[in-house]
Amino acid sequence: MTKPFYDADIAWCPGCGNFGILRTLDKAVEEAGLDRRSLVLVSGIGQAAKLPHYTRANVFNGLHGRALPAAVGIKLANHKLEVVVTSGDGDMYGEGGNHLLHNLRRNVGVKVFVHNNQVYGLTKGQASPTSDLGFVTKVQPAGVIAPPLNPLAIAIVEDCSFVARSFAGDMEHLREMMVAALRHRGGLALLDILQPCPTFNHLNTYQWYRERVKRIGDSHDPYDRAAALELARKWGDEIPIGVLYRSDRPSFESLLPVLKKGTLVEQYGGEGL
Amino acid sequence: MDLNIRVAGEAGQGVETMGGSLVDAFAGMGLHVFSTQTYMSRIRGGLNWYDVRIGDRELFSGREGTDLLVALTPEALEHLRGDLTGGGLLLFNGDDGDGVVGIKLEEVARELTGQRVMANTVAAGAVFALLGYPVAELERQIEERFAHKGQEVVEGNRKCVRRGAELVGDRGGRLAAPKPAGAPKGICSGNEAVGLAAATAGVKFASAYPMTPSTGVFTFLAGVADRYGMVVEQAEDEIAAVNMVCGAAYAGVPAMTMTSGGGFALMVEGLALAGMLELPILIFLGQRPGPATGLPTRTAQQDLRFAIHAGHGEFPRAVLAPGTPQQCYDLTRRGLELAHKYQSPVILLSDQYLADMRKNCTGLDESYRPINRYLLEEAPEDYVRYAVTDSGVSPRAAPGSAAFVVVDSDEHAEDGHITEDLEARVRLQDKRMRKQEGLLAEAVAPEWYGPRVAERILICWGSTYGPCREAVGLLNHNEHSIGMLHFSQVWPLEGATIRDLIGRCGPTKGRPKVLVVEANATGQFASLLRQVGAIEECELVLRYDGRPFTGEEIARRVRS
Repeated sequence: MTKPFYDADIAWCPGCGNFGILRTLDKAVEEAGLDRRSLVLVSGIGQAAKLPHYTRANVFNGLHGRALPAAVGIKLANHKLEVVVTSGDGDMYGEGGNHLLHNLRRNVGVKVFVHNNQVYGLTKGQASPTSDLGFVTKVQPAGVIAPPLNPLAIAIVEDCSFVARSFAGDMEHLREMMVAALRHRGGLALLDILQPCPTFNHLNTYQWYRERVKRIGDSHDPYDRAAALELARKWGDEIPIGVLYRSDRPSFESLLPVLKKGTLVEQYGGEGL
Repeated sequence: MDLNIRVAGEAGQGVETMGGSLVDAFAGMGLHVFSTQTYMSRIRGGLNWYDVRIGDRELFSGREGTDLLVALTPEALEHLRGDLTGGGLLLFNGDDGDGVVGIKLEEVARELTGQRVMANTVAAGAVFALLGYPVAELERQIEERFAHKGQEVVEGNRKCVRRGAELVGDRGGRLAAPKPAGAPKGICSGNEAVGLAAATAGVKFASAYPMTPSTGVFTFLAGVADRYGMVVEQAEDEIAAVNMVCGAAYAGVPAMTMTSGGGFALMVEGLALAGMLELPILIFLGQRPGPATGLPTRTAQQDLRFAIHAGHGEFPRAVLAPGTPQQCYDLTRRGLELAHKYQSPVILLSDQYLADMRKNCTGLDESYRPINRYLLEEAPEDYVRYAVTDSGVSPRAAPGSAAFVVVDSDEHAEDGHITEDLEARVRLQDKRMRKQEGLLAEAVAPEWYGPRVAERILICWGSTYGPCREAVGLLNHNEHSIGMLHFSQVWPLEGATIRDLIGRCGPTKGRPKVLVVEANATGQFASLLRQVGAIEECELVLRYDGRPFTGEEIARRVRS
C-alpha cells in the first residue's frame, strides 16, 4: 500500500478539524480494504475540498457545489470505482444543495462525506447554511436569523439509503462511521461530520461539541424512519452521532439494465482505445 | 419543378404527425423532400404549421408561398390563405367553399375506423389525389409501414386513404406536380442525425435538462440507449448535466450534453471546467432567439459569439456549425474526435430550423464505430496527467488503472495537484493554449458552391447553408455572378487562409463583393471574420424575427 503523502503543502489552519478527518479517512480506506487505484476522491471548493490533494488516490477536484454531479458521472461511467465526495457545508448544503436533493432521490452509490463546520472558512468566516441562529459574522453582524438547514432530516425524508453523523473530535467513532459508509453497497451514503473551525467559528468549538455529542445507542433501529427522523431533529443540548438511518432501496446503477453487462468503460470496445 | 404543401392547425391536432407522414410518403415515392416546422410555444391551440416541399431535384430550404394548403381549422384557412400561389389549392377540414375542397377529415376517419387519429391518413389520401399521384402507391407504403401491426390496422388505413382520394374526386390533378426522381427514401432531421452520429461514435453517457430545440437529440439518444449501450440521464438542471458529463469524460467514456441558450448560460462554468481539466466533452447548442427566454420555438443564430467566448479564463475549444442533416451527422462525429484528440470541449451549434428540418438522407451509417479516445492503455506508475508536450496534448489515462489520475479546477502542476507556483501556472496555461494550434490546423475548410469565380460571394455558416445555396441557384439563373462560401467550423478561424480563398473565388481584377448572411441582428460572424482579418467591408443580410431564411428571400435582398 502506498503511503499517504502528508508531506504535501497542507493549506489548513493549525488545529483544523480537517487534519483528524484526513488521518481517519486514510485509516478507514485501509480498514475497508479499498484498492486506492480504484478510489476516486471528488471534491468541489472549500477547505474540505482540498483534502483529496493530501492523500493518495485518484482525484477530481471540480467546481464549487458541483462535486456530486461529477461524482455521479464518474460512478455511472465506471461503477467499479469507489467514489467518495469530500465536501464542506457550503459546498454541499449551500452551492450544491439542488444536486444533493436530487441525488438523494437517485441513490447512486457514491459516498458523501461532509465536513460540517457551520461556517465558511475559505471566504473567511461568513455564515453557512448550517450556522446556528444568532451566529455573528461580518456579513451577518446582527447574527443569523434564518434557522439552519437540517441535512440529515432531508436525507431521511428522501429515503437516502445510509445517513450518519460523526464528530471530528472523536476519531474512533469517525473511523467506524467512515468504514460503515464505505462498506455500504445500497446506494448513496451521507456522512455529516461535525468539525470545529478554530479560526472562524468561536461558537461551535471542540469543547462545545464534546459537551453535546452523544453516541446513538444499540436500541435504535436504523430502519425505523420515524425514529431516525426524531434523532435527526435533535440539536442543541444533545446531538446524536452514529448511523441514524438505513434503507434497502436499490441503488440507481443496479436499476440500469445496460450496466448489467459491465461498466460503460468496459463496454466501449472498438478499435483503439 | 417543386411544390410546397402546408399543413396548418392548432397544437394538439396532429399537424406534426400529418406533415411527417406526408414527408415519408413522398420520400417513399422517390421525390426530393424538404420540410420545416413553424410552431408556437404551447401544447394546445394556437396556429402551427408544417411545410412539406417536394421536388424533382435536391431541395435545400423551405419556400415562402404555398401551392397546397391543408387547413385543419377555420383560423388556419383565414390566416394562411394569403400565402397561396396562383393556381394553388385549398383542402379544408370542413365544408366545401369557394375554391376550397372541403373534407371533414376527423368525421370521415371516425366513420370508417372509429378513430379520430386516422384523419391524417384521410388527409394523405386527399393530398395524393389533389396532386394527381397514384393512391395505390400510398396504399403500398401503408401496407409496408403497418404490416407489423396486423391486417386490421392496414385495412383501416387503406380505407381512409381511398376515401380521402374519393372525396377529392375529379377536383384533383390540376396542379403540375413534380415527378419522382429516384431521391433517397430515407429521411432524417438535423437532431436525429446528431443523435445517431453520437450513438454510433461511442457516446456512452449523455445528460441534459430538456430545452427546445435540443430535446430531440436527447430523446433520440434515450430511444437508442439500450441498442448502443448508453446511460442517458435527465439532470436536475443544466449545471448538473455538464458536470456529470465532465465526470463521465474523466472516467474514460465519450460524453455529451445538449441544451439551448439559457441552459448553455448555466453550463458556462462547467465548460470552463472542461477547459481546465482538459476533458473531452461535446455540448450540443440548439439556438433559438434570445435574450433570456426569447422565442422558445423559433430559430436564430445569435449564440455564435457566446459559444466562442463562453467560460471564464482562456482555453481552447472548437465550435462546429453544420448546415444540413448530413453535416449534422458528419460533424457530430468529427466533434467527438476533435474533443478526444485535443482533450478539449467542443460545441456543436445548431438551431431550431436545422434541428427540425427533415430531408432525404443517403443511408446514414447506423453501425457502432467507436472513435479513438486517445487513452493510454497502461499508464506508468510515475504517470502525471498534465505532462508538458510540444502539441500541448498530454497523455491521458482514466482512473482505475495502475496510475493515479489527478485533475483539479485550481491551477495545477503537471501532476494535477493544486499549485500557486506561478511559473507552473504559465507553463500549464501555455501548454493548454498550444492545443488551439492543432485545432486550427485541423479546422474544417469552408465549402464553396457556385461558379469557379464570382463577382459576389454570400458568406454563411450553420443552418443558412440551404437557403443560401438555393439563393445562388436563383440568382445565377438570372445571370448574376454569385457564389457561396459556407463555414461549418466557425472557431478557430485562420484569417489569412480565408482571405486568400475569398480572393481566389473573386474576379481576376479586384476582390469580390462580400455579403454575410446570418440569422441575428448584429452580424456576429461578419465581425468575427473582420476580427481575424479575413474580410474588410461587407454587406449584411440579417434576419432575426425567429423564422428561417428562404432562398427566395435572400435572392430578393441581394437583387435590391
